[in-house]
Amino acid sequence: MQIFLQTLIGGIGFGAIYALVALGFTLVYRTMGLVNFAHGDIAMVGAYIATTFYISTKLPFAVAMASAIICTAVVGLVIERVLRPLENKDFDLMLIGTIGFGIVLEALAALIWGATGSAVPSPVGTQPIHILGIYIPKYDLVIIAVAAVATVVLWLFLDRTKRGIAMQAVAMDHEEATAIGVHVGNSNAIAFAIGAGLAALAGGLAGPVLYVSPTLTASLGIKGFAAAILGGFGNIKGAIVGGLAFGILDAFAAGQFQGYSELVTFVAFAAVVIVRPTGIFGESTVNRA
Amino acid sequence: MNHRMNRWARIAPVAVLGVSLAVTGCAAPGGQATAATKPDTGPINIASISPQSGQFSSLGAWELKGVKLAVAEVNAAGGINGRKLEISVMDDQGDPTVATNLARKAVSDGAVFVFGSAMSGNTLAMAPILAGAKIPEITSGSSPKLATTGSKFLFLNSPPSTVFDQTLANYLVDTKAYKSIAMISNNGSYGKGEHDAFLAALAAKGVTPVANQVVTPDQKDFSSALTSIGQKKPQVLFIGAEEVESGLIAKQARQLGITAIIAGGAPLGTPVYLNTAGVKVAEGSIVSTPYLGNDTDAKTIKFAADYQKAYGEAPEFHGAKAYDGAEIVIKALLATNGAGGAKLAEAIRAVKYVGLVGTFAFDQTGIGVHATTIAIITNGKQIAVK
Amino acid sequence: MKKYIGIAVLVAFGVLLPYGLGSYAIHVANVAIIFAILAIGLFLTMGIAGQINLAQIAFFGTGAYASAILTTQTGLGFWPAAVCAVLAAILIGLIIGIPALRMQSHYLGIVTLGLAVAFTNLVSNSSFTGQAQGINNIPGPTLPGIDLSSEYNYYYLEAVALAIGIMLAAFVVHTPLGRRLRAMRDDDLAASAMGAEVPVLRMAAFAVGGLYGGVAGVLYAGLIHFVAPESFSLANMFFLLAMVVIGGRHNLWGALVGAVALTLMREALVNFATYAQLAYGSLVVFMVLFAPTGLAGIPSRLRSLLLTRGSAGPDSTRVAAYIPAPSLGRGLHAPAPSAPNVVEVDGLTKNFKGLRALNGINLVARKGEILGIVGPNGSGKTTLFNVLSGLYTPTEGAVRILGDSAARVAPYRLSLRGVARTFQNLRLFTRLTVRENVMVALDRTLTRWSWRYFLWPLGVWRQDRGMRVAADALLERYGLSDLADTFPTELSYGAQRRVEIARAVATNPEVLLLDEPAAGLNGEEVNQLRLIVKDIRASGVTVLIIEHNMGLVMSLCDRVVVLANGAVIADGLPAEVASQPDVIEAYLGDSSLLDLPTTETAGTP
Repeated sequence: MQIFLQTLIGGIGFGAIYALVALGFTLVYRTMGLVNFAHGDIAMVGAYIATTFYISTKLPFAVAMASAIICTAVVGLVIERVLRPLENKDFDLMLIGTIGFGIVLEALAALIWGATGSAVPSPVGTQPIHILGIYIPKYDLVIIAVAAVATVVLWLFLDRTKRGIAMQAVAMDHEEATAIGVHVGNSNAIAFAIGAGLAALAGGLAGPVLYVSPTLTASLGIKGFAAAILGGFGNIKGAIVGGLAFGILDAFAAGQFQGYSELVTFVAFAAVVIVRPTGIFGESTVNRA
Repeated sequence: MNHRMNRWARIAPVAVLGVSLAVTGCAAPGGQATAATKPDTGPINIASISPQSGQFSSLGAWELKGVKLAVAEVNAAGGINGRKLEISVMDDQGDPTVATNLARKAVSDGAVFVFGSAMSGNTLAMAPILAGAKIPEITSGSSPKLATTGSKFLFLNSPPSTVFDQTLANYLVDTKAYKSIAMISNNGSYGKGEHDAFLAALAAKGVTPVANQVVTPDQKDFSSALTSIGQKKPQVLFIGAEEVESGLIAKQARQLGITAIIAGGAPLGTPVYLNTAGVKVAEGSIVSTPYLGNDTDAKTIKFAADYQKAYGEAPEFHGAKAYDGAEIVIKALLATNGAGGAKLAEAIRAVKYVGLVGTFAFDQTGIGVHATTIAIITNGKQIAVK
Repeated sequence: MKKYIGIAVLVAFGVLLPYGLGSYAIHVANVAIIFAILAIGLFLTMGIAGQINLAQIAFFGTGAYASAILTTQTGLGFWPAAVCAVLAAILIGLIIGIPALRMQSHYLGIVTLGLAVAFTNLVSNSSFTGQAQGINNIPGPTLPGIDLSSEYNYYYLEAVALAIGIMLAAFVVHTPLGRRLRAMRDDDLAASAMGAEVPVLRMAAFAVGGLYGGVAGVLYAGLIHFVAPESFSLANMFFLLAMVVIGGRHNLWGALVGAVALTLMREALVNFATYAQLAYGSLVVFMVLFAPTGLAGIPSRLRSLLLTRGSAGPDSTRVAAYIPAPSLGRGLHAPAPSAPNVVEVDGLTKNFKGLRALNGINLVARKGEILGIVGPNGSGKTTLFNVLSGLYTPTEGAVRILGDSAARVAPYRLSLRGVARTFQNLRLFTRLTVRENVMVALDRTLTRWSWRYFLWPLGVWRQDRGMRVAADALLERYGLSDLADTFPTELSYGAQRRVEIARAVATNPEVLLLDEPAAGLNGEEVNQLRLIVKDIRASGVTVLIIEHNMGLVMSLCDRVVVLANGAVIADGLPAEVASQPDVIEAYLGDSSLLDLPTTETAGTP
């Protein structure tokens, strides 16, 4: 039982990070109709920027994170400008183009920050909270709290603000949106910037629990994307549940199968989506001709 | 007319193929490439094959710094009887298959000697190719498997894991009388070597580890493995993994409430481990290492000063053993007057040398150093245990 | 002529190349050939069949590891091990392809990518595969009289494998199997409506990927004598993807050029691996943005650019007149009431997430009848066609076509049974020529038949020739001969509608479903259409036609069924139906029914 709870706690901690990555995929897909395979790489870049602020310039963690989110959002604006011709093209080209861009970002990160990566000390101390025989790392609580706040804010923005609703209209039908006076280019740029900011949030939060290196992409990007699909692509609720489910699946697989955890996780993931291709909550469809 | 042209067009490929085959029949390609006898004057070409990019690139960087320092010194002093040593630096990217390609390239370039790789797995992959071409190599790897290839051309500039872990087990079990020991190691070449060596050393003392978890070399989250270790409340946690992974494991162990003393091989003595784990977590870690620090004797002090001057940073174990390896090769090349091949391998085996990481006396398996020391990390420094 | 000279030069270059290479350069050439074979596999799976397969590297790994394990641990010889390894790779291909039966596009991409990660994880953990240390000392192949341990001789072994691989790929692409794969890539719905067994074809695509991956893997193990997990990592998968994308994923030569060019680039930049990564990543982005057809597509893009600049070539949008069949006379009359029912729909209901699109439809169509189906927009006409052609399964009710139930029958089965259709929003295979569009439909065989590719290629070739002749005859009749080699996207709207009908007729149907065939046609084109439909009926085909152009409906149909809100509100002779009050009411606001006279204006959408 103790092991079960302890594994669950670990799974939820990582699950919250995967959920944040999945949220970024979701946001960009819902508002731009873009399937962004480079999202994990943007998270990695965000993590590096946060680390640089936190370690090299010795800013407090929260300030470093906020600065990293803003910087990465700006980087996101640049990326969106480059990838703009891809928007509204077919999914296959988008997929290949964004994979290519991810390769570029990974190489750039290795050139700028070196390939060995850096460890990030935990901002809240390493002493865990000890209740009922299980240890809860303090930092895990930070992750979960931040992820919860980010989710609520994003949901309010998309479903309760005019701007958010207008942005979703763009993804549904960008010609129609133009007709009712939405500036598609601006809307997409903002959407991508927010998505990049979310990626930086996920990457920056992951820094102290993982290790910031160019390979962070593989651990965050692929699992985050898979989490988004597991929950139902383009669906906020799906991103959260998918992320948590993936984190927990991963944690138990690691406990049961040790080194083989990735094999088990991805085979289980494939099996689930074969049975239910639209994920747990179904795809929030973006209708495109 | 047109019709005839078409027919000719159809015949053309066949005709060309025929002619080509006729040429092929006359002489097999590649004949000229063999027996590339190098003149005995001019620079001596040696290759360094190590990861210079990718997540293990720090290993390659240290290796190269140590080697370059020694080579620069000998070149400044007139080289090998007047001939300069030239290093061609090759990046194996931490990928053993790339390493095999580069080994072929080194052979084709006429290198007389190869440094590397800094990774055991890559060295094992290259060994048959270099042995086939009779090119000696000194690796910075320490997997016990390196001593079992049967190659007469492979040498280790470091003790193998069996030596590290025997010393460590002696200290933990005999000196400190710890009984409850947990293990975590990765299944890469280095980690597998550590796993097997430490397990064997414990078994010889009748100790069974309370937990024995295996992870992968590029894993970053160890919470589940550490959770099951935490359940056993061990006195000692043995880590068999490279620098970064060791640091992450130590850090995450503390976050999960594991208070066991952390013990392991040379990686725990490096600055990378200290940075990754954090000085607080690393405090008290028990290290089995042949290189205690940059101020243990006159030799290390001089080396540290030269290294500092050349690179603007303090050296550590990897740079030191690479330097030792290079010094040995230089001595051997002086003995053979620059000749390579089996002669050079014999000369290397004959070198007796007191270096930074210990006293070198190579045996038939290519192992040169046969002892390590126990140290405890105190305030970020390795302090030898008496 | 030019083509043959090109091939001759290439062959000569290939044969003579080793004479100019040093002992390391030949090794690089050998690695390049292996990647070229691997790239052909990805080209076929992704470029031809449209399956986003990011696990090709795992097929490669399976081939390499299987041959390594079999030779080093069971003592099997190289060649028998190679055969087993290739079979294992095909099997892994089929297993990893299973998700493709349920999902496509980016979903398939991420699932296959996950499975590629799973493969690397498996080989870096299993003691069978030597874990992270890999397997060393793998024996190379032997042949009597030839020393294959020399890399120069190994080059020729690989070159032969590559040549066979190229020939097989080129043959597949241009014959029935490849044509169906390409049709499926362009539009899987239309392909299945034309008789292509989409699930089987998707599995075939992955099996082919496995075949090429397996062969490349075996050659790799034999060349390097060593396998380790890093060689099959995601970084290498993306590298392989970059080869195919940069070279041109829809073009065999493009994929090959990409593979060779990128291998050489990586070799040249071996000591600057990060810069190499930066370079090929940027190239991929650049290509996708500015030349999505890759290097191979650049010449034709330039050509079309020059053509549109200068005087346009032959007008490719003109359609010649339809040539009626000699027996037209029979087609002028409706069938006798005694003619058998070909289509029977009984109480058909179709729901979509609580929305009732069809509500208890009953209708029949007799053999040789032209049945008009009209109704306001959203009345369920196209939904009815989708059920009849097997694209939708009915919620309730029975559908019988030619006496057998057609509910829950796959579209390709219905197509083989004799149901053909056109699509309201034009679903031609856009990257197939007009002739190929028709040839896809002419192919009435099951994909199972593809075993002949290995055992009796001549038979495949003969069948293909036969289909080509038949297609040209059909195109001639439909006035499309001049357009046979153009792509649908270059055609006028009217011409595309004509091709749709020709393609449907090519399936030699018993029942033909035409979904708004006159939409967007001009008066002359509508007249041609009337002629064509009457002619089709004359050959005994039952025609169901959805149409808004009431002039055409009145003058063409033997009988008309009116739908409103998913239900039949009228069924009878055109003139009778048009005068029914509830029909007029249903059409209130939709004036087309009211101007009954046969003014042949452009059909309203």
